[in-house]
Amino acid sequence: MCAMRLISNRTSQQALSNSDYTWDYEYYEYGPVSFEGLKAHKYSIVIGFWVGLAVFVIFMFFVLTLLTKTGAPHQDNAEISEKRFHMNSFVADFGKPLESERVFSHQMAEESQSLFHFCINEVDHMNKEKESQKGPSLESNTHFQEVPKSSGMFEEDLHCLTKFNIPNFVNTEQNSSLGEDDLLISEPPIIL
Amino acid sequence: ENISDFSLNITDCTQVVVPEEVFFTVAAAGILENLLILIAVVRNKNLHLPMYFFICSLAISDMLGSLYKTLENIFIILCKVGYLTRHGDFEKKLDDAMDSMFILSLLGSIFSLLAIAADRYITIFYALRYHNIMTLRRALVILAIIWAFCAGSSIAIALFSYEAATVIPFTILFPLMMFFILCLYVHMFLLARSHAKKIASLPSSTVHHRTNTKGAITLTIFLGVFLCCWAPFVLHILLARFCPHNPYCACYMSIFHVNGTLIMCNAIINPMIFAFRSPELRSTFKKMFYCSR
Repeated sequence: MCAMRLISNRTSQQALSNSDYTWDYEYYEYGPVSFEGLKAHKYSIVIGFWVGLAVFVIFMFFVLTLLTKTGAPHQDNAEISEKRFHMNSFVADFGKPLESERVFSHQMAEESQSLFHFCINEVDHMNKEKESQKGPSLESNTHFQEVPKSSGMFEEDLHCLTKFNIPNFVNTEQNSSLGEDDLLISEPPIIL
Repeated sequence: ENISDFSLNITDCTQVVVPEEVFFTVAAAGILENLLILIAVVRNKNLHLPMYFFICSLAISDMLGSLYKTLENIFIILCKVGYLTRHGDFEKKLDDAMDSMFILSLLGSIFSLLAIAADRYITIFYALRYHNIMTLRRALVILAIIWAFCAGSSIAIALFSYEAATVIPFTILFPLMMFFILCLYVHMFLLARSHAKKIASLPSSTVHHRTNTKGAITLTIFLGVFLCCWAPFVLHILLARFCPHNPYCACYMSIFHVNGTLIMCNAIINPMIFAFRSPELRSTFKKMFYCSR
Protein backbone atom coordinates (compact mmCIF):
# COMPACT_ATOMS: atom_id res chain seq x y z
CA MET A 1 0.00 0.00 0.00
CA CYS A 2 1.43 3.27 -1.06
CA ALA A 3 0.35 5.08 2.06
CA MET A 4 3.01 3.09 3.82
CA ARG A 5 5.59 4.58 1.57
CA LEU A 6 4.85 7.99 2.96
CA ILE A 7 5.89 6.66 6.32
CA SER A 8 9.04 5.07 5.02
CA ASN A 9 9.87 8.22 3.10
CA ARG A 10 9.61 10.27 6.23
CA THR A 11 11.81 7.96 8.23
CA SER A 12 14.38 7.62 5.52
CA GLN A 13 14.42 11.33 4.98
CA GLN A 14 16.78 11.62 7.85
CA ALA A 15 19.39 9.97 5.72
CA LEU A 16 18.37 11.08 2.28
CA SER A 17 18.36 14.60 1.12
CA ASN A 18 15.66 14.26 -1.50
CA SER A 19 12.40 12.53 -0.82
CA ASP A 20 11.53 10.77 -3.98
CA TYR A 21 8.01 9.60 -4.34
CA THR A 22 8.78 6.38 -6.06
CA TRP A 23 6.34 3.81 -7.16
CA ASP A 24 8.01 0.58 -6.48
CA TYR A 25 6.97 -2.95 -5.87
CA GLU A 26 9.33 -2.97 -2.93
CA TYR A 27 7.52 -1.01 -0.32
CA TYR A 28 10.17 -0.95 2.27
CA GLU A 29 13.84 -0.39 2.31
CA TYR A 30 15.21 -2.42 5.09
CA GLY A 31 18.38 -0.44 5.19
CA PRO A 32 18.08 1.10 8.63
CA VAL A 33 17.21 -2.22 10.16
CA SER A 34 19.98 -4.23 11.67
CA PHE A 35 19.45 -7.89 12.15
CA GLU A 36 22.29 -8.55 14.46
CA GLY A 37 21.87 -9.98 17.89
CA LEU A 38 18.32 -11.16 17.59
CA LYS A 39 17.32 -13.15 20.61
CA ALA A 40 14.31 -14.85 19.07
CA HIS A 41 13.66 -16.14 15.62
CA LYS A 42 13.35 -13.31 13.13
CA TYR A 43 9.86 -14.35 12.07
CA SER A 44 8.66 -14.57 15.63
CA ILE A 45 5.99 -11.90 15.20
CA VAL A 46 4.60 -13.68 12.16
CA ILE A 47 4.52 -17.04 13.88
CA GLY A 48 3.20 -15.60 17.13
CA PHE A 49 0.47 -13.70 15.34
CA TRP A 50 -0.80 -16.66 13.35
CA VAL A 51 -0.63 -19.02 16.28
CA GLY A 52 -2.50 -16.50 18.42
CA LEU A 53 -5.14 -16.04 15.75
CA ALA A 54 -5.62 -19.80 15.36
CA VAL A 55 -5.88 -20.25 19.11
CA PHE A 56 -8.45 -17.47 19.32
CA VAL A 57 -10.61 -18.92 16.55
CA ILE A 58 -10.48 -22.40 18.08
CA PHE A 59 -11.29 -20.96 21.49
CA MET A 60 -14.26 -19.13 20.03
CA PHE A 61 -15.42 -22.35 18.40
CA PHE A 62 -15.22 -24.27 21.65
CA VAL A 63 -17.05 -21.58 23.56
CA LEU A 64 -19.84 -21.64 20.98
CA THR A 65 -19.97 -25.43 21.04
CA LEU A 66 -20.19 -25.41 24.81
CA LEU A 67 -23.09 -23.03 24.56
CA THR A 68 -24.95 -25.64 22.56
CA LYS A 69 -24.11 -28.49 24.86
CA THR A 70 -25.34 -27.16 28.18
CA GLY A 71 -28.51 -28.90 29.23
CA ALA A 72 -30.12 -32.07 27.99
CA PRO A 73 -33.64 -32.01 26.58
CA HIS A 74 -36.20 -32.25 29.33
CA GLN A 75 -39.24 -34.40 28.97
CA ASP A 76 -41.02 -32.61 31.74
CA ASN A 77 -43.43 -30.11 30.25
CA ALA A 78 -43.73 -28.25 33.47
CA GLU A 79 -40.20 -27.09 32.98
CA ILE A 80 -41.09 -25.19 29.86
CA SER A 81 -42.07 -22.14 31.83
CA GLU A 82 -38.84 -22.41 33.73
CA LYS A 83 -36.96 -22.43 30.46
CA ARG A 84 -38.82 -19.35 29.42
CA PHE A 85 -37.56 -17.72 32.56
CA HIS A 86 -34.02 -18.76 31.68
CA MET A 87 -34.43 -17.40 28.20
CA ASN A 88 -35.58 -14.11 29.59
CA SER A 89 -32.68 -13.99 31.98
CA PHE A 90 -30.34 -14.61 29.04
CA VAL A 91 -32.00 -11.75 27.29
CA ALA A 92 -31.66 -9.55 30.33
CA ASP A 93 -28.04 -10.56 30.80
CA PHE A 94 -27.19 -9.41 27.35
CA GLY A 95 -28.40 -6.02 28.27
CA LYS A 96 -31.30 -6.04 25.92
CA PRO A 97 -34.31 -4.85 27.86
CA LEU A 98 -37.34 -7.02 27.82
CA GLU A 99 -38.67 -4.61 25.34
CA SER A 100 -39.52 -7.31 22.92
CA GLU A 101 -41.69 -8.87 25.55
CA ARG A 102 -43.51 -5.63 26.11
CA VAL A 103 -43.81 -5.16 22.41
CA PHE A 104 -45.09 -8.61 21.98
CA SER A 105 -47.54 -8.42 24.83
CA HIS A 106 -48.87 -5.26 23.26
CA GLN A 107 -49.15 -6.99 19.99
CA MET A 108 -50.57 -9.96 21.71
CA ALA A 109 -53.57 -7.92 22.65
CA GLU A 110 -54.06 -7.05 19.02
CA GLU A 111 -53.19 -10.31 17.46
CA SER A 112 -54.00 -12.74 20.17
CA GLN A 113 -56.42 -14.65 18.09
CA SER A 114 -54.04 -15.08 15.21
CA LEU A 115 -51.25 -16.08 17.54
CA PHE A 116 -53.48 -18.65 19.08
CA HIS A 117 -53.88 -20.05 15.62
CA PHE A 118 -50.13 -19.98 15.21
CA CYS A 119 -49.79 -22.01 18.30
CA ILE A 120 -52.03 -24.80 17.36
CA ASN A 121 -51.64 -25.03 13.65
CA GLU A 122 -48.81 -26.43 11.66
CA VAL A 123 -46.39 -24.24 9.82
CA ASP A 124 -48.30 -24.09 6.55
CA HIS A 125 -51.43 -23.01 8.29
CA MET A 126 -49.39 -20.51 10.19
CA ASN A 127 -48.11 -19.03 7.00
CA LYS A 128 -51.54 -18.70 5.51
CA GLU A 129 -52.74 -16.86 8.57
CA LYS A 130 -49.79 -14.56 8.36
CA GLU A 131 -50.38 -13.99 4.70
CA SER A 132 -53.94 -12.99 5.28
CA GLN A 133 -52.85 -10.64 8.03
CA LYS A 134 -49.98 -9.09 6.29
CA GLY A 135 -51.39 -9.19 2.79
CA PRO A 136 -51.69 -5.45 2.34
CA SER A 137 -48.22 -4.79 3.61
CA LEU A 138 -46.52 -7.28 1.38
CA GLU A 139 -45.09 -6.25 -1.88
CA SER A 140 -45.36 -9.53 -3.62
CA ASN A 141 -46.23 -13.13 -3.03
CA THR A 142 -42.67 -14.15 -2.78
CA HIS A 143 -42.22 -11.53 -0.13
CA PHE A 144 -44.44 -13.70 1.93
CA GLN A 145 -42.05 -16.55 1.55
CA GLU A 146 -39.40 -14.35 2.93
CA VAL A 147 -41.49 -13.51 5.97
CA PRO A 148 -39.54 -14.81 8.91
CA LYS A 149 -40.95 -18.24 9.22
CA SER A 150 -38.51 -20.06 11.37
CA SER A 151 -37.30 -17.00 13.19
CA GLY A 152 -40.79 -15.65 13.67
CA MET A 153 -41.66 -18.99 15.01
CA PHE A 154 -39.08 -18.58 17.75
CA GLU A 155 -40.84 -15.55 19.11
CA GLU A 156 -44.28 -16.89 18.56
CA ASP A 157 -43.48 -20.16 20.19
CA LEU A 158 -42.00 -18.43 23.16
CA HIS A 159 -44.94 -16.19 23.62
CA CYS A 160 -47.43 -18.85 22.89
CA LEU A 161 -45.97 -20.61 25.84
CA THR A 162 -46.11 -17.56 28.00
CA LYS A 163 -49.55 -16.37 27.10
CA PHE A 164 -51.48 -19.45 26.29
CA ASN A 165 -49.80 -22.02 28.42
CA ILE A 166 -50.04 -24.67 25.78
CA PRO A 167 -47.12 -26.93 26.44
CA ASN A 168 -48.27 -29.44 23.89
CA PHE A 169 -48.89 -27.19 20.97
CA VAL A 170 -48.97 -29.26 17.88
CA ASN A 171 -46.26 -27.30 16.28
CA THR A 172 -44.14 -30.19 15.40
CA GLU A 173 -41.58 -28.28 13.46
CA GLN A 174 -39.13 -31.08 13.56
CA ASN A 175 -36.99 -29.57 10.93
CA SER A 176 -36.95 -26.34 12.83
CA SER A 177 -34.17 -27.83 14.87
CA LEU A 178 -32.28 -26.75 11.82
CA GLY A 179 -33.48 -23.27 12.76
CA GLU A 180 -30.38 -22.88 14.80
CA ASP A 181 -28.36 -23.21 11.65
CA ASP A 182 -30.79 -21.46 9.37
CA LEU A 183 -30.40 -18.15 10.98
CA LEU A 184 -26.69 -18.37 10.77
CA ILE A 185 -26.25 -20.09 7.47
CA SER A 186 -28.70 -18.26 5.34
CA GLU A 187 -31.17 -15.56 5.89
CA PRO A 188 -33.45 -16.44 8.78
CA PRO A 189 -36.71 -16.45 6.88
CA ILE A 190 -36.02 -19.54 4.84
CA ILE A 191 -36.17 -22.94 6.38
CA LEU A 192 -33.56 -25.01 4.63
CA GLU B 1 19.20 3.05 -5.05
CA ASN B 2 18.18 4.50 -1.73
CA ILE B 3 19.78 1.85 0.38
CA SER B 4 23.37 2.30 -0.58
CA ASP B 5 24.01 4.22 2.59
CA PHE B 6 23.03 1.39 4.83
CA SER B 7 24.48 -1.98 5.41
CA LEU B 8 22.34 -4.99 4.97
CA ASN B 9 22.79 -8.16 6.86
CA ILE B 10 22.85 -11.47 5.16
CA THR B 11 20.09 -12.71 7.40
CA ASP B 12 17.86 -9.91 6.20
CA CYS B 13 14.16 -10.53 5.79
CA THR B 14 13.55 -10.15 2.12
CA GLN B 15 10.18 -9.34 0.73
CA VAL B 16 8.09 -12.40 0.14
CA VAL B 17 6.92 -12.01 -3.39
CA VAL B 18 3.66 -13.47 -4.60
CA PRO B 19 3.78 -14.32 -8.31
CA GLU B 20 1.84 -11.90 -10.40
CA GLU B 21 -0.17 -14.66 -12.02
CA VAL B 22 -1.49 -15.73 -8.63
CA PHE B 23 -2.31 -12.15 -7.78
CA PHE B 24 -4.25 -11.54 -10.94
CA THR B 25 -6.07 -14.86 -10.82
CA VAL B 26 -7.24 -14.36 -7.27
CA ALA B 27 -8.24 -10.77 -7.93
CA ALA B 28 -10.11 -11.62 -11.12
CA ALA B 29 -11.97 -14.46 -9.42
CA GLY B 30 -13.05 -12.15 -6.61
CA ILE B 31 -14.25 -9.45 -8.97
CA LEU B 32 -16.18 -11.86 -11.16
CA GLU B 33 -17.88 -13.63 -8.32
CA ASN B 34 -19.07 -10.46 -6.66
CA LEU B 35 -20.16 -8.99 -9.98
CA LEU B 36 -22.31 -12.06 -10.55
CA ILE B 37 -24.00 -11.53 -7.23
CA LEU B 38 -24.75 -7.92 -8.05
CA ILE B 39 -26.18 -8.84 -11.42
CA ALA B 40 -28.28 -11.60 -9.92
CA VAL B 41 -29.78 -9.36 -7.26
CA VAL B 42 -30.50 -6.61 -9.76
CA ARG B 43 -32.16 -8.92 -12.24
CA ASN B 44 -34.35 -10.89 -9.89
CA LYS B 45 -37.18 -8.85 -8.43
CA ASN B 46 -37.66 -11.36 -5.63
CA LEU B 47 -34.27 -10.40 -4.31
CA HIS B 48 -35.09 -6.73 -3.84
CA LEU B 49 -35.07 -7.07 -0.09
CA PRO B 50 -33.05 -5.34 2.62
CA MET B 51 -31.24 -8.58 3.37
CA TYR B 52 -29.94 -8.88 -0.18
CA PHE B 53 -29.08 -5.22 -0.42
CA PHE B 54 -26.75 -5.64 2.51
CA ILE B 55 -25.19 -8.67 0.85
CA CYS B 56 -24.75 -6.56 -2.28
CA SER B 57 -23.02 -3.92 -0.23
CA LEU B 58 -20.61 -6.57 1.00
CA ALA B 59 -20.08 -7.72 -2.57
CA ILE B 60 -19.29 -4.17 -3.69
CA SER B 61 -16.72 -3.66 -0.96
CA ASP B 62 -15.09 -6.99 -1.79
CA MET B 63 -14.97 -6.00 -5.42
CA LEU B 64 -13.34 -2.71 -4.55
CA GLY B 65 -10.63 -4.49 -2.60
CA SER B 66 -9.80 -6.84 -5.45
CA LEU B 67 -10.03 -4.01 -7.97
CA TYR B 68 -7.57 -1.99 -5.98
CA LYS B 69 -5.01 -4.76 -6.01
CA THR B 70 -5.47 -5.38 -9.70
CA LEU B 71 -5.11 -1.72 -10.60
CA GLU B 72 -2.07 -1.36 -8.41
CA ASN B 73 -0.38 -4.31 -10.07
CA ILE B 74 -1.22 -2.94 -13.49
CA PHE B 75 0.25 0.43 -12.62
CA ILE B 76 3.38 -1.11 -11.22
CA ILE B 77 3.81 -3.11 -14.40
CA LEU B 78 3.28 0.05 -16.41
CA CYS B 79 5.88 1.77 -14.27
CA LYS B 80 8.35 -1.00 -14.86
CA VAL B 81 7.71 -1.00 -18.57
CA GLY B 82 8.04 2.72 -18.65
CA TYR B 83 4.70 4.09 -19.65
CA LEU B 84 4.27 5.89 -16.36
CA THR B 85 6.88 7.96 -14.66
CA ARG B 86 7.87 7.05 -11.19
CA HIS B 87 7.94 10.52 -9.80
CA GLY B 88 5.14 12.77 -10.62
CA ASP B 89 2.20 14.62 -9.33
CA PHE B 90 -0.32 12.65 -11.30
CA GLU B 91 1.03 9.36 -10.04
CA LYS B 92 0.96 10.60 -6.49
CA LYS B 93 -2.67 11.61 -6.78
CA LEU B 94 -3.49 8.32 -8.41
CA ASP B 95 -1.72 6.55 -5.60
CA ASP B 96 -3.68 8.44 -2.96
CA ALA B 97 -6.91 7.69 -4.77
CA MET B 98 -6.12 4.00 -4.82
CA ASP B 99 -5.16 3.94 -1.17
CA SER B 100 -8.45 5.50 -0.25
CA MET B 101 -10.21 2.90 -2.43
CA PHE B 102 -8.57 0.19 -0.42
CA ILE B 103 -9.47 1.64 2.95
CA LEU B 104 -12.98 2.21 1.62
CA SER B 105 -13.12 -1.48 0.82
CA LEU B 106 -12.06 -2.47 4.33
CA LEU B 107 -14.46 -0.11 6.05
CA GLY B 108 -17.23 -1.09 3.67
CA SER B 109 -16.67 -4.76 4.45
CA ILE B 110 -16.81 -4.20 8.18
CA PHE B 111 -19.94 -2.09 8.06
CA SER B 112 -21.67 -4.40 5.61
CA LEU B 113 -21.03 -7.35 7.89
CA LEU B 114 -22.39 -5.29 10.74
CA ALA B 115 -25.48 -4.41 8.73
CA ILE B 116 -26.06 -8.05 7.81
CA ALA B 117 -25.74 -9.12 11.45
CA ALA B 118 -28.06 -6.33 12.62
CA ASP B 119 -30.60 -7.23 9.95
CA ARG B 120 -30.64 -10.85 11.06
CA TYR B 121 -30.87 -9.75 14.67
CA ILE B 122 -33.93 -7.64 13.95
CA THR B 123 -35.44 -10.48 11.98
CA ILE B 124 -35.20 -12.72 14.98
CA PHE B 125 -35.91 -10.52 17.93
CA TYR B 126 -38.39 -8.16 16.35
CA ALA B 127 -39.86 -10.71 14.02
CA LEU B 128 -43.41 -9.48 13.94
CA ARG B 129 -42.40 -5.91 13.31
CA TYR B 130 -39.54 -6.65 10.98
CA HIS B 131 -41.27 -5.41 7.86
CA ASN B 132 -42.10 -2.14 9.57
CA ILE B 133 -38.68 -1.62 11.04
CA MET B 134 -36.60 -2.61 8.03
CA THR B 135 -38.34 -1.20 5.02
CA LEU B 136 -36.60 -1.09 1.69
CA ARG B 137 -36.25 2.66 1.87
CA ARG B 138 -34.68 2.53 5.31
CA ALA B 139 -32.25 -0.11 4.18
CA LEU B 140 -31.16 2.07 1.27
CA VAL B 141 -30.81 5.07 3.56
CA ILE B 142 -28.71 3.04 5.98
CA LEU B 143 -26.49 1.87 3.13
CA ALA B 144 -26.12 5.44 1.85
CA ILE B 145 -25.06 6.64 5.29
CA ILE B 146 -22.62 3.77 5.71
CA TRP B 147 -20.96 4.35 2.35
CA ALA B 148 -20.82 8.13 2.80
CA PHE B 149 -19.14 7.64 6.16
CA CYS B 150 -16.72 5.08 4.75
CA ALA B 151 -15.85 7.29 1.78
CA GLY B 152 -15.18 10.29 4.02
CA SER B 153 -13.10 8.27 6.45
CA SER B 154 -11.11 6.57 3.75
CA ILE B 155 -10.18 9.85 2.09
CA ALA B 156 -9.24 11.32 5.46
CA ILE B 157 -7.18 8.27 6.40
CA ALA B 158 -5.41 8.15 3.05
CA LEU B 159 -4.51 11.81 3.22
CA PHE B 160 -3.37 11.73 6.83
CA SER B 161 -2.03 8.21 6.98
CA TYR B 162 1.17 9.27 8.64
CA GLU B 163 -0.60 10.64 11.66
CA ALA B 164 -0.97 8.34 14.62
CA ALA B 165 -4.39 9.85 15.18
CA THR B 166 -5.72 8.08 12.11
CA VAL B 167 -3.95 4.78 12.53
CA ILE B 168 -5.08 4.16 16.08
CA PRO B 169 -8.83 4.69 15.58
CA PHE B 170 -8.61 2.61 12.44
CA THR B 171 -7.06 -0.30 14.26
CA ILE B 172 -9.39 0.03 17.22
CA LEU B 173 -12.46 0.10 15.00
CA PHE B 174 -11.60 -3.28 13.55
CA PRO B 175 -11.70 -5.44 16.72
CA LEU B 176 -14.52 -3.37 18.17
CA MET B 177 -16.76 -4.09 15.23
CA MET B 178 -15.84 -7.75 15.24
CA PHE B 179 -16.71 -7.99 18.90
CA PHE B 180 -20.04 -6.28 18.38
CA ILE B 181 -20.93 -8.57 15.49
CA LEU B 182 -19.91 -11.56 17.58
CA CYS B 183 -22.22 -10.43 20.39
CA LEU B 184 -25.15 -10.06 18.02
CA TYR B 185 -24.65 -13.50 16.57
CA VAL B 186 -24.11 -15.16 19.94
CA HIS B 187 -27.35 -13.67 21.19
CA MET B 188 -29.22 -14.98 18.17
CA PHE B 189 -27.47 -18.25 18.61
CA LEU B 190 -28.64 -18.59 22.19
CA LEU B 191 -32.19 -17.92 21.20
CA ALA B 192 -32.03 -20.50 18.45
CA ARG B 193 -30.56 -23.00 20.85
CA SER B 194 -33.25 -22.50 23.43
CA HIS B 195 -35.83 -22.85 20.71
CA ALA B 196 -34.26 -26.07 19.56
CA LYS B 197 -34.31 -27.34 23.11
CA LYS B 198 -37.97 -26.50 23.44
CA ILE B 199 -38.75 -28.36 20.26
CA ALA B 200 -36.73 -31.31 21.40
CA SER B 201 -38.54 -31.36 24.70
CA LEU B 202 -41.91 -31.95 23.09
CA PRO B 203 -43.09 -35.44 23.79
CA SER B 204 -44.11 -35.90 20.21
CA SER B 205 -40.82 -34.72 18.89
CA THR B 206 -38.46 -37.22 17.39
CA VAL B 207 -35.76 -34.74 16.65
CA HIS B 208 -32.17 -35.81 16.93
CA HIS B 209 -29.39 -33.60 18.07
CA ARG B 210 -27.00 -33.95 15.23
CA THR B 211 -27.05 -30.25 14.45
CA ASN B 212 -25.78 -28.98 17.75
CA THR B 213 -22.36 -28.02 16.53
CA LYS B 214 -23.39 -26.89 13.08
CA GLY B 215 -24.35 -23.42 14.27
CA ALA B 216 -21.10 -23.08 16.15
CA ILE B 217 -19.15 -24.11 13.05
CA THR B 218 -21.01 -21.65 10.85
CA LEU B 219 -20.51 -18.76 13.19
CA THR B 220 -16.84 -19.61 13.65
CA ILE B 221 -16.42 -19.69 9.88
CA PHE B 222 -18.10 -16.30 9.48
CA LEU B 223 -15.91 -14.49 11.89
CA GLY B 224 -12.81 -16.63 11.54
CA VAL B 225 -12.56 -15.98 7.81
CA PHE B 226 -12.92 -12.26 8.24
CA LEU B 227 -10.38 -12.15 11.05
CA CYS B 228 -7.82 -14.29 9.26
CA CYS B 229 -8.07 -12.28 6.06
CA TRP B 230 -8.03 -8.74 7.45
CA ALA B 231 -6.19 -8.91 10.78
CA PRO B 232 -2.75 -9.50 9.22
CA PHE B 233 -3.08 -6.32 7.22
CA VAL B 234 -4.31 -4.29 10.20
CA LEU B 235 -1.35 -5.52 12.22
CA HIS B 236 0.88 -4.51 9.35
CA ILE B 237 -0.44 -0.96 9.50
CA LEU B 238 0.15 -0.83 13.24
CA LEU B 239 3.70 -2.11 12.99
CA ALA B 240 4.50 0.19 10.09
CA ARG B 241 3.41 3.14 12.12
CA PHE B 242 4.99 2.30 15.41
CA CYS B 243 8.06 0.15 14.86
CA PRO B 244 9.30 0.32 11.27
CA HIS B 245 12.92 -0.14 12.27
CA ASN B 246 12.56 -3.03 14.63
CA PRO B 247 13.88 -6.19 12.97
CA TYR B 248 11.00 -8.32 14.15
CA CYS B 249 8.49 -5.80 12.81
CA ALA B 250 10.43 -5.56 9.58
CA CYS B 251 10.26 -9.30 9.13
CA TYR B 252 6.53 -9.21 9.66
CA MET B 253 6.17 -6.41 7.16
CA SER B 254 8.10 -8.39 4.57
CA ILE B 255 5.07 -10.64 4.04
CA PHE B 256 2.98 -7.68 2.99
CA HIS B 257 2.03 -9.14 -0.36
CA VAL B 258 0.83 -12.34 1.23
CA ASN B 259 -1.44 -10.23 3.42
CA GLY B 260 -2.75 -8.48 0.33
CA THR B 261 -3.50 -11.80 -1.31
CA LEU B 262 -5.36 -12.89 1.82
CA ILE B 263 -7.59 -9.86 1.50
CA MET B 264 -8.43 -10.83 -2.03
CA CYS B 265 -9.15 -14.37 -0.88
CA ASN B 266 -11.64 -12.89 1.52
CA ALA B 267 -13.41 -11.39 -1.47
CA ILE B 268 -13.74 -14.88 -2.92
CA ILE B 269 -14.84 -16.58 0.29
CA ASN B 270 -17.38 -14.00 1.48
CA PRO B 271 -19.92 -14.69 -1.29
CA MET B 272 -19.75 -18.39 -0.49
CA ILE B 273 -20.63 -17.96 3.14
CA PHE B 274 -23.18 -15.19 2.73
CA ALA B 275 -24.70 -14.97 -0.69
CA PHE B 276 -24.59 -18.52 -1.99
CA ARG B 277 -26.33 -19.87 1.07
CA SER B 278 -29.55 -18.41 -0.14
CA PRO B 279 -31.57 -20.85 -2.27
CA GLU B 280 -33.24 -17.98 -4.10
CA LEU B 281 -29.90 -16.55 -5.18
CA ARG B 282 -28.65 -19.94 -6.25
CA SER B 283 -31.69 -20.53 -8.40
CA THR B 284 -31.22 -17.10 -9.97
CA PHE B 285 -27.69 -18.07 -10.91
CA LYS B 286 -28.86 -21.29 -12.47
CA LYS B 287 -31.42 -19.41 -14.50
CA MET B 288 -28.81 -16.92 -15.62
CA PHE B 289 -26.43 -19.58 -16.79
CA TYR B 290 -28.99 -21.77 -18.45
CA CYS B 291 -30.48 -18.84 -20.28
CA SER B 292 -27.12 -17.77 -21.57
CA ARG B 293 -26.44 -21.16 -23.08
